Amino acid sequence: MSEKVTVTFIDESGKTRPVEAARGATLLDAAHAAGIGIEATCGARGRCRTCRVKVLKGELSPPTIQDLVQLGDEEVREHFRLACQVKLIADCTAQPMPPREEAGHKILSGGKTVTEDSRLEIDSGVIKHVVRVNPPSDENLQTSDVEEVLSTLPVGTDRRVPIEVTRKIPSLIRTNKGVVTVTTFAGGIIDVEPGDTSAHLYGMAFDIGTTSIVGTLMDLKTGEQLAEVGSVNPQSIYGGDLMSRIAFAQFDPKKLQTLRAKALNAINDFVEEACTKAGVSANHVYKIVVVGNTCMHHIFLGIDVTHVGLAPYAPVARDLIVLPSKDVPLKGAPNAQVCLLPIVAGFVGADTMACVLATRIYESEQVRSLVDIGTNGEVVMGSKHRLVACSAPAGPAFEGAQIRNGMRGAVGAIERVHLNGDVECETIGDAPPIGICGSGLIDSCAVFIDARIIDASGRLRRERRELLTKALRDRFVDTPDGCEFILVHKDRSGRNEPIVLTQADIRQLQLAKSAIFSGVAMLQQVMNVPNADLTELMLCGGFGNYISIESAVKIRLLPELPLERITYVGNAALMGAQMALLSEVERRRSLDLARQIEHVALATHPQFQEIFVDGMNFSGTTFDAEKKSLAKAARESKLTATGS
Amino acid sequence: MSDPTLQIPQGWESRAPQGWEWQTLWEAIETGDHAYTGQKVQAAIDAKIDPRVILDDGLFPGFNLQSDRFSAQIIFIPEMLITARAMKKGLSLIRPLLAAQAEKPVGTFVMGTVLGDMHDIGQSIVTIMLENAGFNVINLGTDVHPDKFITTARANNADLVGFSALLSTTVYYQKVTIEEFAKAGDRKRVHILIGGAPTSPEWAQECGADGWGKDAVEAVRLALKLVKEQRQAWN
Repeated sequence: MSEKVTVTFIDESGKTRPVEAARGATLLDAAHAAGIGIEATCGARGRCRTCRVKVLKGELSPPTIQDLVQLGDEEVREHFRLACQVKLIADCTAQPMPPREEAGHKILSGGKTVTEDSRLEIDSGVIKHVVRVNPPSDENLQTSDVEEVLSTLPVGTDRRVPIEVTRKIPSLIRTNKGVVTVTTFAGGIIDVEPGDTSAHLYGMAFDIGTTSIVGTLMDLKTGEQLAEVGSVNPQSIYGGDLMSRIAFAQFDPKKLQTLRAKALNAINDFVEEACTKAGVSANHVYKIVVVGNTCMHHIFLGIDVTHVGLAPYAPVARDLIVLPSKDVPLKGAPNAQVCLLPIVAGFVGADTMACVLATRIYESEQVRSLVDIGTNGEVVMGSKHRLVACSAPAGPAFEGAQIRNGMRGAVGAIERVHLNGDVECETIGDAPPIGICGSGLIDSCAVFIDARIIDASGRLRRERRELLTKALRDRFVDTPDGCEFILVHKDRSGRNEPIVLTQADIRQLQLAKSAIFSGVAMLQQVMNVPNADLTELMLCGGFGNYISIESAVKIRLLPELPLERITYVGNAALMGAQMALLSEVERRRSLDLARQIEHVALATHPQFQEIFVDGMNFSGTTFDAEKKSLAKAARESKLTATGS
Repeated sequence: MSDPTLQIPQGWESRAPQGWEWQTLWEAIETGDHAYTGQKVQAAIDAKIDPRVILDDGLFPGFNLQSDRFSAQIIFIPEMLITARAMKKGLSLIRPLLAAQAEKPVGTFVMGTVLGDMHDIGQSIVTIMLENAGFNVINLGTDVHPDKFITTARANNADLVGFSALLSTTVYYQKVTIEEFAKAGDRKRVHILIGGAPTSPEWAQECGADGWGKDAVEAVRLALKLVKEQRQAWN
């Protein structure tokens, strides 16, 4: 029996691509080895549906329990399988078919730009010196081409000239009357060009997030934003959340390189795309500021992340880093200096530092807080006197993962829920509903607490449903696996089955939201700041834009502050990167701040468990308390009846 | 599915003094009132009720009710935890008396969270539930080195070892720890159970564990089953 089998992949357009793979390998491994991008958001553990394929021909290993759980009997009978579960035993033909709700989700970009920050003084550190160099002309004078160039530049310019620049000098200073433009960054020469190119001075800022990468091209003279780029982080095919990304690369340098190549290729492509959009040359991009969480930062630099994922979760390097692009390597911007902002801790990274820069929380008189709600969220709290930070990992529930009908915030996702005697759902793009995204999950629970469909402990009402309207009553389904609540009946659904919220879904939400809530509460306790003294809570990052703040407070995802004190500040990580791009003062400030921030490790904090467990509860009362008060009311009414 | 109901122990009246009642203790455990639990259990001890009877008739009904509800996801971690704590309070009063009667533990269970992982809540619930089921549980806490599991299992002639992992990055150490047991020549002397959010029955099989529980209730059920199965004796 041959050790190799041939898998033929068919794409949407019907194009086929035969791939050879080892017998016993998974279909997903075969696809990845051949560079076919099948997403496996859960990290190939059979816990999501993103790697769904339809097997058109050929014999396969029998479906696993994971296939049945994720896809259901019917889909498995129709030859749908999870690519990560299928083991190859013979030649076969398969078509990647990610479920519709996983495709094309919203990516946050744009919003407020840094140029609106009137206090930012532009000082990117990149200077173009237009000079006229006289080539050496007297054999008796001990000089050189390089020394003649240096003699035209300000005193203090670094005399170590990069070899690539040295190689260009002889011909340049002997044409065009010796007029050249010498570009320096922080006093070091980075390029020399013929003629006067002083008008062309650009840089880029990037935020490499676990889920998406966004970047902007900026004019370093004016601070003007010239182009904007962004996409899903292409590393996502190796695991959607941070921990599965680390697990993928753990103890395996080759896999780390795989992830790294994805990030570098994406950045190269973005530089090209942005320059094309703006009509500028990538040779004129001189400074690139990259921010990202510790894991993205390390992977970008090719640093092993194995131990970042293990207690005590220490980063490998924390300082400001500046590298010439060839050392990264970033071929797309050959003359750029690539700058990475500092890191605070393993799960409080350069992206958080950028948020701190952008919001200027460090100069506030009163205590403010900065919250990034996400799979690996972070919380920063403080004022000019003291800053503390912690990571608050909510897990992937807000992205719809491990939620029965969960999905990312894409077209057809329920994002708002209203109650008007009955449940009404709003979807993204007003499309027929096919699932529920994080903001819809938060909204539905908030509304259901008010409607007494869910109680403060998170229990779906099982008793005395007669207190509800008939329309609501009819939405409860009791299955052997537990209680469910129908959000959208089958006839209104876009997926030929009802869309439900299960008791287990609510439990997942409780865990996720308590991670954020208890993170904020812990920092409040460390800082000794009651709600009354918390002047502002700033939400940043993609997810903060879409949630209803009122609902988030209702379910105790956020502390109970007056709503006007909770603000959304946009993609602050990207804004902070832009500030560090345009201003060296800001870039250097980030290091001072990173060293000043106190990191609070939640897991080992003696009070954390108490706070985390309490944080799982919603606000409001429990059905048990309701039962007691009803009983009391009944007793009292008897009393008045007999008394009268 | 019908909701779990309180299972009132049959014939409890014959095992208690005249006029005694357990209802308030069942409710105290159910609602997690650990102060009342302590008082009532002490009163029962003072009334010379057999500690085994206090356990079976007084403490278990409320606890079992909440366990079943937890398993069915009707209640969640906060409620289960307060019930478990009330239960623990009651047990702390009774355990010395049971030991004095030479009542042997069902088995010895070494428990902890694997190396590199600081998560505590899940395994602490499992620990209380195992104790309630009569196990002698040695809880090593979090971030436990494989050697520590091995030496503790040896020193205590453990029947079972369980370790949880709550991160995709630390499940790896479940496998490593099991391999270390094998290297030490102790793999066949203990049954090994694993659990934690990122784990699955498939992973349990892959990493060579003897069992996997989806929640604390299942873990206890599994432990009770495995402890009866033959293993190699400790030297």
